[in-house]
Amino acid sequence: MTRKYELVYVVSPEASDDQVADLHTQVEAIVQRIGGAIERTDNWGRRRLAYEIGRHKEGTYVLEVINGTGELMKDIDRRLKVTDLIIRHLVVRVDEQQGVIERTKARRSATSQRRRVARGLPAERQPGEGQRGDADDDRDDRFDMGNERGMDR
Amino acid sequence: MNGRKSFGAKKGGRGAAGSQSKDGQRRPMFRRRKVCKFCSDKIDDINYKDTKLLLPFVPERAKILPRRISGTCALHQRKLRVALMRARQLALIPYTAE
Repeated sequence: MTRKYELVYVVSPEASDDQVADLHTQVEAIVQRIGGAIERTDNWGRRRLAYEIGRHKEGTYVLEVINGTGELMKDIDRRLKVTDLIIRHLVVRVDEQQGVIERTKARRSATSQRRRVARGLPAERQPGEGQRGDADDDRDDRFDMGNERGMDR
Repeated sequence: MNGRKSFGAKKGGRGAAGSQSKDGQRRPMFRRRKVCKFCSDKIDDINYKDTKLLLPFVPERAKILPRRISGTCALHQRKLRVALMRARQLALIPYTAE
């Protein structure tokens, strides 16, 4: 039974970039040995911790999206627990939640299309319609670091 | 008219809730109706990685903002709580303020 999991681990700030990469290959090795696949890896870089863990105030966050079985995740969990460089980690199963989210989204768009057609409007929302423009984009400001003002468009 | 008067009287019984106008008539205090942020913004995914989304629900003492104040609906408050607790574990959000 293969499922989708998210693994986030926090690496000690003393670790070098090589050591962080080494940890990633270690995780990859376990995943491949037991028969899973890493779907995506995301290094969030060095971040401030919200509270001190041990005596650390910072940490490097790495996210891995893994397709695999529960036994695989159990093994990874056990290995990460004994790794000194990793100061905190979290494994979350995400496939069920993602299914729920997709279904909600599909249901919502279907309802809105049905209602719009019933009102005699085109099924899709037209650009520039309504008070709020790009409703999906206005909260997603992860990538516009430079544009602090944000409002002048 | 009748219904409004009786409502005002009920509020007046609780003292501070009714404000006194010039002619001494009690009027229920105006309160904006709270709506669930996740319902109105159509946010389906309350994710523990999205600190920007979660932080407004963690006031200074770092406790989870109760529903009666934030106005979040029961469904989304449950999801929010799970997300906040996961984010806490990863030190993205504090457990307490020192």
